[in-house]
Amino acid sequence: MRFWNSQSISDKLMRMTLLVSGTALLLAYISFLVYDLYSLREELIGYLSTQASVVGANSVTALTFDDRLAAQNTLAALHSSPQIRAAVILRSDGSEFARYQRDPSTTFELKNQLSQNEPQHHWTKGRDILLGRRIQSQNTWIGTVYLLAETGDLARRAGRFGLISAGMLLLCFAIAYLATSTIRHLVTDPLTGLARTAQIVTRERDYSVRATIPLRSDELAFLVQSFNEMLEQIQARDRALESSRSELEQRVDERTAELTATNKELEAFSYSVAHDLRGPLQHINNIGFLLQHSASEGLNEEGHMLVDRLLEGSNRMSAIIDDLLNLSRASSHPLHRTTINLSHIAETIAARLQAEKDSRQLRITIAKGAQAFADEGLMQVVLENLLGNAWKYTSKLDSAEIEFGYAEEEAGTVYFVRDNGAGFNPRYADRLFRPFQRLHSQTEFTGTGVGLATAYRIIMRHGGKIWARGGVDQGATFFFTLPYGEG
Amino acid sequence: MLAACFAGSGFTQATTRAERDVEAEDLLNFGRFLRYADTPPPRSSFDLCILGQDVLDKSIDELAARETIGNLPVHVRREPDATATKSCAIVFISASESIHIREDLAILAGLDVLTVSDAPNFLDDGGMIQFVHIEKQVRFAVNLNAVNRTHLVLSSELLRVASSVRGKPAAGDLP
Repeated sequence: MRFWNSQSISDKLMRMTLLVSGTALLLAYISFLVYDLYSLREELIGYLSTQASVVGANSVTALTFDDRLAAQNTLAALHSSPQIRAAVILRSDGSEFARYQRDPSTTFELKNQLSQNEPQHHWTKGRDILLGRRIQSQNTWIGTVYLLAETGDLARRAGRFGLISAGMLLLCFAIAYLATSTIRHLVTDPLTGLARTAQIVTRERDYSVRATIPLRSDELAFLVQSFNEMLEQIQARDRALESSRSELEQRVDERTAELTATNKELEAFSYSVAHDLRGPLQHINNIGFLLQHSASEGLNEEGHMLVDRLLEGSNRMSAIIDDLLNLSRASSHPLHRTTINLSHIAETIAARLQAEKDSRQLRITIAKGAQAFADEGLMQVVLENLLGNAWKYTSKLDSAEIEFGYAEEEAGTVYFVRDNGAGFNPRYADRLFRPFQRLHSQTEFTGTGVGLATAYRIIMRHGGKIWARGGVDQGATFFFTLPYGEG
Repeated sequence: MLAACFAGSGFTQATTRAERDVEAEDLLNFGRFLRYADTPPPRSSFDLCILGQDVLDKSIDELAARETIGNLPVHVRREPDATATKSCAIVFISASESIHIREDLAILAGLDVLTVSDAPNFLDDGGMIQFVHIEKQVRFAVNLNAVNRTHLVLSSELLRVASSVRGKPAAGDLP
């Protein structure tokens, strides 16, 4: 079967044609031969029966009057029948009455005889047929005639027939070969060419090749032409795709370059603004401090209040500048990823938060063994922001609970920071990570509105995700993921 | 008469029992190959008559008892003179009758009676079938000229096995 499968269509066609015609001819030869031999044999038996009948009829008087010579003469007439080799007439008592042998040198022994009440019967002995027939006179059996005929003629006929059939078979093979060659030229050659072209197209992705179109107007020519047209269309589309892709790439490159430049400018601007603001702010702070401590005697109560508010304002501004610098750093700081233990970082931050004792009872739970592949400094910023937020928004509770943990999900590890604090309105959850967007007033909870934006920026730079769930006075949970790898 | 008796006894001596049996058998067989140009005469039995000394003994009776010819039973009659044999189908005239043969044949002339004899010169005398001895075998000779004077027809098959045939079959004979 494997051999058959590996054959080309033309070979298959050739083999099939030869096989079918050969088988058909062979079967026809066998059936004709069998029929011919059978009918010839039947014919011979019929002929023998007639001859036996004639001989019998002509031997009645010879038998009746016991005239052996007359019977011999009757049998001698069989000489004109070349098939009949020998003949014997027996009397009714079984004794031999007359005999004829074509070749006197051979002996003919009668081995089969008719049984009682059997008017006629024949036996086949090798290539010979023996036929026995009763001789009847006045409704009485007066003797039997036996004729021995050879079927050599049948064998000769079968041989001749076989020779003719072999000749016919050869002729058929020749015709089948010619037919297959024509079919090969008309059908399989264009198909092979088509297959070869398709192979080149598939293997080398070369859509410029074309199959040779046969110089005819049949289905195959149409098929090859359609195939070539299809290739042409693919080639055209390929070209268009290629040019639009390169155009797109160029455009993307341009946009990326523009964006990078703008971003850099922006970062440089915000950094320089924040940095440059520090100096004047420090001056304001110093003057405020002097006013509060050294020149406090010259100030009335209102003056004291104004100095306090001035200091408060400059402190807040200092915090905003710090956060802005952090945010800027989060965007521009190059990533140095290593395998880090987030649990350790969280524990350090938690210890610091625990130290800042206030009236509430605070319980911070840190899950052990939270590993990540990330920039340690930046992840410290993330956790400080998230844990710091949790600490801040639980400040009004008597019993605060903060938890850092992680869960192994199908997509990777999901880390979370959970608290039972003030929470937030989930409707505005999308604003949480935007810079300077705050869901609580400054009087409720102080803050700059930059911390979560910074955390968001850092997680994004790591290729991870960050999101939050919570409700008003129902606490909040911040989740984030970090892909374990470069991207 | 004496001569006839002598001749008869002489013939009897020459004819063996086996030969007599053959002759008896042949007589019956002649009946089988005997046909009539016209409608056969109405008969209730096929009568085989013997004239003269009965050389066939009882063998003919035994044979006739178990045979039928043309679906008729065969009766063997031994008659003293030719007149009594006019209704017979076959008349066997014994050689002992040789001196009366011409007279007997004259009586039977024109009648559809097959005349058979073992007498020499029987055919010359106008008889129809004569037994002859050839190479110690009983054969028979046929005189169709005598047969053709009657309505009798002898089958050509019978003629094939005859040792000799005088004359030619009449036109219209069955093959």
